[in-house]
Amino acid sequence: MYINRALLLVVGVVLIFFPVIEGWAVSSETAWYRPYLLWLLVIVAAYWNQRTRYPDEL
Amino acid sequence: MSFSLTQILLFIVVYLSGLFAVAYLADRGIIPERISRHPATYVLSLGVFAGALATNGVIELAYRYGYNFLLYYIGVVAMFVMATVLLLPLLRLCRVYQLSSLADVLSFRFRSSWVGAATTLAMCITLLPLLALQIQAVADSIHILAGETIGPSSSGERQDRLALLFCIIITVFSILFGTRHVSTQDRNNGLVTAIAFESLVKLAAMFVLMLAAIFAVFGGIAEMDQWLLQNAELHRALERPMQGDSARALLLVFFAGAVCMPHLFHMAFAENTDSGHLRKATWGLPTYLLLLSLPILPITWAGIKLGHDLPMDYSGLAMGSALHSFPVSAAAFVAGLSAASATIIITTLALANMCINHLVLPSRLLKIDREQSIYKQLKWLRRFVISILILAGYTFFITLSGKQSLTQLGLVAFTGTLQFLPGLIATPYWPKANRKGLLAGLCGGLLTWLFGMLLPPTTGYQPLILLQIQNSLLPDSGSLWTTVAMASLTFNAGLLILVSLLTRTRADEKIAAEICSMDDLARPIRQSLSLRNAQQFSASLAPALGEKTARSEVQRALLELRFSEQENRPYALRRLRARLEANLSGLLGPAVAHGIIERCIPFLPGAHGETEDIHLIERNLDRANYQLTGLAADLDNLRRHHRETLDKLPIGICSVGADGEMLMWNRSMAQITGIQPSAVLGSLLTSLPQPWDGIIGDFLRGAADTLLKTEVANDDGAARWISLHRTTAEENAGSTSADTIILVEDITEFELLEEELLHNERLASIGRLAAGVAHEIGNPVTGIACLAQNLEYEEDPEEIHYMARDILKQTDRVTRIVESLVNFSHLGSGAGETRLTPSNLADCIDEAVHLLTLDQAAKPVQFSNECDRELVVLADSQRLLQVFINLLGNARDACDEFGHVRVYATTDEQLVNIVLEDNGCGIPPQLHSQVFEPFYTTKDPGEGTGLGLALVFSIMGDMNGSVQLTSPVADGPNPGTRFTLQLPLGSYGSTFDM
Repeated sequence: MYINRALLLVVGVVLIFFPVIEGWAVSSETAWYRPYLLWLLVIVAAYWNQRTRYPDEL
Repeated sequence: MSFSLTQILLFIVVYLSGLFAVAYLADRGIIPERISRHPATYVLSLGVFAGALATNGVIELAYRYGYNFLLYYIGVVAMFVMATVLLLPLLRLCRVYQLSSLADVLSFRFRSSWVGAATTLAMCITLLPLLALQIQAVADSIHILAGETIGPSSSGERQDRLALLFCIIITVFSILFGTRHVSTQDRNNGLVTAIAFESLVKLAAMFVLMLAAIFAVFGGIAEMDQWLLQNAELHRALERPMQGDSARALLLVFFAGAVCMPHLFHMAFAENTDSGHLRKATWGLPTYLLLLSLPILPITWAGIKLGHDLPMDYSGLAMGSALHSFPVSAAAFVAGLSAASATIIITTLALANMCINHLVLPSRLLKIDREQSIYKQLKWLRRFVISILILAGYTFFITLSGKQSLTQLGLVAFTGTLQFLPGLIATPYWPKANRKGLLAGLCGGLLTWLFGMLLPPTTGYQPLILLQIQNSLLPDSGSLWTTVAMASLTFNAGLLILVSLLTRTRADEKIAAEICSMDDLARPIRQSLSLRNAQQFSASLAPALGEKTARSEVQRALLELRFSEQENRPYALRRLRARLEANLSGLLGPAVAHGIIERCIPFLPGAHGETEDIHLIERNLDRANYQLTGLAADLDNLRRHHRETLDKLPIGICSVGADGEMLMWNRSMAQITGIQPSAVLGSLLTSLPQPWDGIIGDFLRGAADTLLKTEVANDDGAARWISLHRTTAEENAGSTSADTIILVEDITEFELLEEELLHNERLASIGRLAAGVAHEIGNPVTGIACLAQNLEYEEDPEEIHYMARDILKQTDRVTRIVESLVNFSHLGSGAGETRLTPSNLADCIDEAVHLLTLDQAAKPVQFSNECDRELVVLADSQRLLQVFINLLGNARDACDEFGHVRVYATTDEQLVNIVLEDNGCGIPPQLHSQVFEPFYTTKDPGEGTGLGLALVFSIMGDMNGSVQLTSPVADGPNPGTRFTLQLPLGSYGSTFDM
């Protein structure tokens, strides 16, 4: 079974720090689009993760 | 501003026609493939997930629960970002085995048509709310655009009629879209492009609404921020926390929806042609959803600011109405219409495939007419099922009477499909799960969902949990929705685990589980088929599919595998069988396809069927190379290293299975035989071209494990020699047959060298004999000269006659000496060719003794030939002469002046034992193993070449004989040596060519 180990690590870290991240993202004191910045970060990470070119493994 | 009903319906028809035109242009190739097959098109087509819930329902969610509306997107984003966890394993399965729906996957994994039928039925029921949601969103939008308001006061009857009209239109277009391609295995370019186009339209419409909200309603970004500051309670409402369990349940529901919803499943897997596209979707779809969700908050705030009396779901339309803007109203309507139409078209298409493959065909509800094309019948069947499904969705919508919001309907549908998640996760991750467990879990979970969520709003059954959904999401209320959702899932997973552990898993399920499992590499079994070539496949499939369809399916499979119609390699036929099953699975569903293949193209029971399919395992390992890490990667590297070592060995290696299938054929083998591995691997030994079929086949059937030398005729007529060795691999545990490994060594150069050495040795012998010959010829010549001188003065005729007879006698002697020498020198004239003929043994020994006695310088050893004068051996007389000259010459050299070399022979049934015994100095036992080696000599430099005994050994081997050395043979100062030659007994009239 091939599961990206870096991905597992990231998921673990996100789970641990989820309350802090959530608090920071949805705080009413800050810009309303802050959660979208986090989302953008996830997209960048996902892009980075799939950059390695694999052949069509199917 | 309002529109007439005709205008709106015309608008819908025009929009959907435009969409159909896009599909048509893509199918015809007018929209180039670089666009229709671009990864971006695939990613955009996945936007089908965002149905009317994303364009309308989410606004209501954002209004009530602030940022929690993002959970709708985050669930899907999480599933795609973690694609390697579930999506890629599923894609692998779907692509390899042509599975196009969730029911296909589950029925393939659990090898049960019941699982497929249950999944299909459950899916149809769980998606009724989703279809009703789309219909309601469009019907309400038409209603609002036509100038009516939604609510208790509105005309329910008119809304139902509008919904019916929309359903009729969408049914026509769904049929047009969905039945252009019959088999689900071909990517429907047009459909993908059209759905991608819809996603773009949806996104553009939402951005128009966002711009209208920011600039037309608020007057600009700064003004909107200012308005937010003034309404701080709204900003604070954004961070309104949802009760923890509810947020997690929502996230889980949408996470599961990304893979359990049939429309997204269809676009993600059935329409995928490259796994790289799915990898790009891991960031592409999140990007699309981010863009799609960006306008939600501004639109919601604009709706709040405008204070319209419509449900918040329709804030876009309310904005258009308030601003009296046609573009804004049109954008709001188009957003909802494109989202709803895409969802309905793809959902009904996917459900129709599932219904046909898992309900209609397996239950024989429809009798397939074998005389007609199966494709045409399937096309009509699909049209009918699509109509029925949309009608069912409409009926459900009517039953609800518009009492539920879009969000409520969406949540009920998503919670229903959540019940497929345990089975889907078990597919690649839990091989012990079995069909009983899955069915029990599905029943438990779905019944909980049915009675807890679906039935209350439709039957009035209490408690109306559905109606309490919105309350349960609030922090200060009970979490009944969460309770039902989580209870159904827990019940489902619990039953799946419990029943699977308590009941027996069938063998075919275990095989399917192994195939699906990503933990274990599949170990395909090499089984034998009763069919011998590809042409027989068509005939065997004809009773099930009809002649025409069977022929066309076999030809397509052959084409895809790049095999010819004459294909008869067992490995290729097994692949053809698997491909046919996969292709039929795309056409008829995995359960029906598996049944047809098992019935029409069965494997032979128990015949050499237990060994592993090495080719397939290697193919799988080669493809999975980059996935292997740690110890597995090390093992794979080791495998590659060993494979390469075997491949590059300078000795030919081939491996033959017990069923005669060629399993290995390395590069040297290809060089020796001129047959490439690709042409021979996986085929039967009997299919090898001559002479290799005969050589390897005879060797395998023979008793000997070694064949020292055999001659092979090249295509160009030149001869070459090979030696063969074989060994049988140890039987594996549980295996009933073992492979035979054959080593083939090209010894042509060695043979040619040996020939050359033989020639050299002969020349050396001639050189050694030359002095003796000269002396031997000199004596009679002197005699002739004397007689000739006397003859000159002799007058007595009787004396002259006497002297002439003497001269003739002397010339006869010279002639005999010369003939012997010439005979000996002609030994190697037929290089490489040993002709075994009956040869008189005693004569041959006499000839050898005579030649040796010509050497006057040699010791006067006594030779005695005691062989039976009538004894005949089967040998090449010229080569046998060389053997005796070498052995007798050595014997003489080993003896002193009083030496005696004795030759005698005994017969033993078919063999003759010729013994050459001397009373010379003997050969020490420690040298016995070396004396037959080339260039080994105990003589002084210049006296021996060291090739004599080596050639004796070689020649005797060529003549099917043997040579044995015994020394010492007696005690004392002259221990002596005994060579025992063994040759086949011959008789005149027998000839044998080597």
